[in-house]
Formats: sequence, C-alpha cells, structure tokens
Amino acid sequence: MDSKSVMNAITSKFPDIHFVFRESDIRITGRVRAAKVVEVCQYLKEEVEFGHLCCEFGVDYPERNEIEVVYVIGSYEHPVILTMKAILPRDNPEIESVVPVYWNANWYERETHELFGVQYLNHPDLRPLVLTEELYGEWPLRKDYEGFPNKTARNLV
Amino acid sequence: MDEVEQVEYEQVPGTMLTDSNAICDFLKKTKVQDVLNWGRKNSLWFMVNAMGCCGVELLATGMAHYDTDRFGIIPRNSPRHADVMIISGYVTKKYLPALQTVWDQMPSPKWVICFGDCAISGGPFYESYSTHQNIDEIFPVDVFVPGCPPRCEALIQGFVELQKKIIAKKDKGTEY
Repeated sequence: MDSKSVMNAITSKFPDIHFVFRESDIRITGRVRAAKVVEVCQYLKEEVEFGHLCCEFGVDYPERNEIEVVYVIGSYEHPVILTMKAILPRDNPEIESVVPVYWNANWYERETHELFGVQYLNHPDLRPLVLTEELYGEWPLRKDYEGFPNKTARNLV
Repeated sequence: MDEVEQVEYEQVPGTMLTDSNAICDFLKKTKVQDVLNWGRKNSLWFMVNAMGCCGVELLATGMAHYDTDRFGIIPRNSPRHADVMIISGYVTKKYLPALQTVWDQMPSPKWVICFGDCAISGGPFYESYSTHQNIDEIFPVDVFVPGCPPRCEALIQGFVELQKKIIAKKDKGTEY
C-alpha cells in the first residue's frame, strides 16, 4: 500500500481523523482526537500492519495554549511513515498511554511527562527518567520555563 | 608497666604525635618533598571516565599509538588506583553526585584536569537548565585543556603542564 491507500484505509474506519496534508508518497500527517489515540493505534497495529512506533514526543504552543503529542509510526510492510498529532489543553494535558499497544512507548512517555508535564493515564510506571528530583514539576522544555536561560556561569573572558 | 602507660608523650623530648600533620608539614619544607614530587610526576595514572564526546579522545590517548607509558601516564579502570581525574565533558546535575563519589574514592594525592570546552565553561550547553556550571568551584582543577574536542596531543601537553606544576610545587593536589 502506498500513502494514499493507507490514508483511505484509516479514514474509512475513523472518519474524524483529518489528514491535513500529504508531504510525499511516503509521509502522511494526521490529527487525531486525544480520546481516540489508543483505539487508532490498536487499529493501525493490528489491521494496517503499522508495527513500529519510531518516536513519541511533545510540542509546546503557548500562543495557542496547546500541547501537541506527536506519534511517528512506521511500518515494515508499507513504505509509509505516519505522523499522528493529538492536541491537548495546556493547563491540564492528559492523554491515554499507548504502552498497551506499543511497549516501547514506555520511556518516551516518561520523558515527555517530565519535560512537558503531559499526564499519561494508565501508564505502568510514570517515574522521572532523566532529570533530577529537584527539577521534577518544572517542565523545562515548555517555552515559558523560567530557569532556561541559566546565567550562573562565570564569564571567563 | 603502669608507669609507662602514664607517660604523657608531649613531655618526652624529641617525639611527635602521629595523629597530627607535623611530620608531613616538616617534610614539605625539605628536599624529601622534591623527591616525592619527582616520583609523583612520573606516575600520573589517570582514571578512564569518558563523560562526553571528549571521552573518545581520552580513550585514544591511552591507546598504544601515543604510548603515554613513557611519561608514566597509564589509564586505570578503578578510581582507587588513579591519581588524575579527567573531567571530559559536560557535568549534568544528575551526574555531579556520582562524579563527587568517584573523586572521594580516589586516594590522595590526586589532581583534576578539565578536558574540553564543556567542562571548562559549558560549551554548547552553556545556559542549559540541566548542566552544572563553574566546575572549578567544586573540584580543585589544575589544568584546563581547551578544544572541542582537544586532540590527544593537547591532553599529553596538559599532563606535561601538570608535571611542571608538581615539580614547581604549584599544584592544588597538595597543600604546601
């Protein structure tokens, strides 16, 4: 299947997914409602043979007051890479975890949780991964993070 | 026997208590310290602690091509065998406690070399939220080796500068 037939297969099952654009024959991008992410991933893995979650991360949009969670899903059967975006409200970003479908999302979601503050519901072990305990709760990759220009370094020149 | 136990050592002429630094402080003023420093400068065993991409140059320096054994610079895998700790990369806030533990495990006399721009001033991670800055306030750094990353020859020159400091008694590994 090329990207067009993949798009048709998904939109026939889930009509509310908007494929905003088709970048090329191998990359498609779509928006999905946050409540339906696990259902869509289940369908992608079992019916359309998209078995490889390449990465999962967050993007902060303070002017739109939104946080996007992006899933990049590849396939071993079709030459297509699918990018799926779920939009969450910025003050209370909550989304269902996709670990039951793609097990390797575990650490991606732990990292996105501590860097962006996205709460993953039903995650097996949502501990901080790379930051120290003091930095937990500051969500340092959000754009309005106060401590980002850390100007304590002495000027050696 | 009872009489011997009651002797106060301070009253015995010519004795010094061994729980003070008096002997060391006395020897530091004599030629004995020069001989000690000559031995120390010729056996600068460094700890293999590759922390960033500069760590690759650090590993390459210990390989056979540069033959640093002729200067007495030998890579050691345990901090308990090492004399020199080379900070070869950015120090994140999460890694700093581990680095301090490693530094405490090294027996004195010991020296620190800051290797690379990240360890000196932060490098590309300057003003980052997760790296620790001003490493020379935490560890007594003797030699800074700039570069991104420095070449192996630069690290060998850093060791030579450290040897010169030890011979001149200007190093921070010992309090003179």
